[in-house]
Amino acid sequence: MAKAFNPGRRGITGFLEPAERDLLRKLFDDIITILEPSRPAHEDPLAALIGLDMDVAVPTDPALLRLLPDAVMGDADASLEFRQLTERSLRESKIGALRAATLDLDKDKLVLDAEAAGLWSRALNDVRLVLAQRLEIRDEGDAERVHQVQDWGEADDVESYLSLVYNFVSWLQESLVQAMLAGLKSSR
Amino acid sequence: MSVSTAPETDRDQSTHELSSPDIPWELIIWNDPVNLMSYVSYVFQSYFGYSEAKAAELMMQVHTEGKSAVAHGAKEKMEAHAVAMHGFGLWATVQKGGGRG
Repeated sequence: MAKAFNPGRRGITGFLEPAERDLLRKLFDDIITILEPSRPAHEDPLAALIGLDMDVAVPTDPALLRLLPDAVMGDADASLEFRQLTERSLRESKIGALRAATLDLDKDKLVLDAEAAGLWSRALNDVRLVLAQRLEIRDEGDAERVHQVQDWGEADDVESYLSLVYNFVSWLQESLVQAMLAGLKSSR
Repeated sequence: MSVSTAPETDRDQSTHELSSPDIPWELIIWNDPVNLMSYVSYVFQSYFGYSEAKAAELMMQVHTEGKSAVAHGAKEKMEAHAVAMHGFGLWATVQKGGGRG
């Protein structure tokens, strides 16, 4: 069983079983696949350099839309313009966090400095956002329904299995964020 | 809510026209049932540099009222904040300031 993350002098330490590492690797990889742009960077090298993407469109997959939401409420044109300027680099920064967390999983000991902890918290959060879309968590009641599924013996269908995975990743993120908040507090 | 991060306007330049960068915009964070309250509070403290108390107050406003205007200022700045918030996985939008959120 994984242990909660712990703040310490050398960083935040965590402990994960091999099966839990494999699960997280798979989840991080799934989210990277969702986030990878279907088309290569713009042929215009300058446009590619500044991350400009004129061919971008609002995601049709609701999970991807939650990762890359519209930035201007009630103004589709302004939101699309915002996407053209920012979406590619946002995808890249999310993929970067997921890849960094995946690399950390290969180390024997999980010891995270402040930067690594930040990347991990983002990676875990993006996993949860995608799982929540698949589990149709739309309000607090839905969240409570999923939270009730706690027994791995009950994992007899996709939904209960995903619920257990979601609850595990939520617990892991909560313990990491608590350790990060403790770090913020002691540095003030 | 007492959030006042909007920059002081320069009153000396009386001929200065009110162009779009001078209109205060705001950054809205929307509630969702997924993001952990602790994580939202962490983002408000670490990214905006808000105190633990102010971060908690804004986080509770998002949670109970469905949204909160967590920053005010120039449009470009609010847009940069929105990208950063999306990087953290928070649901953020920008809008022209008016009523306090």
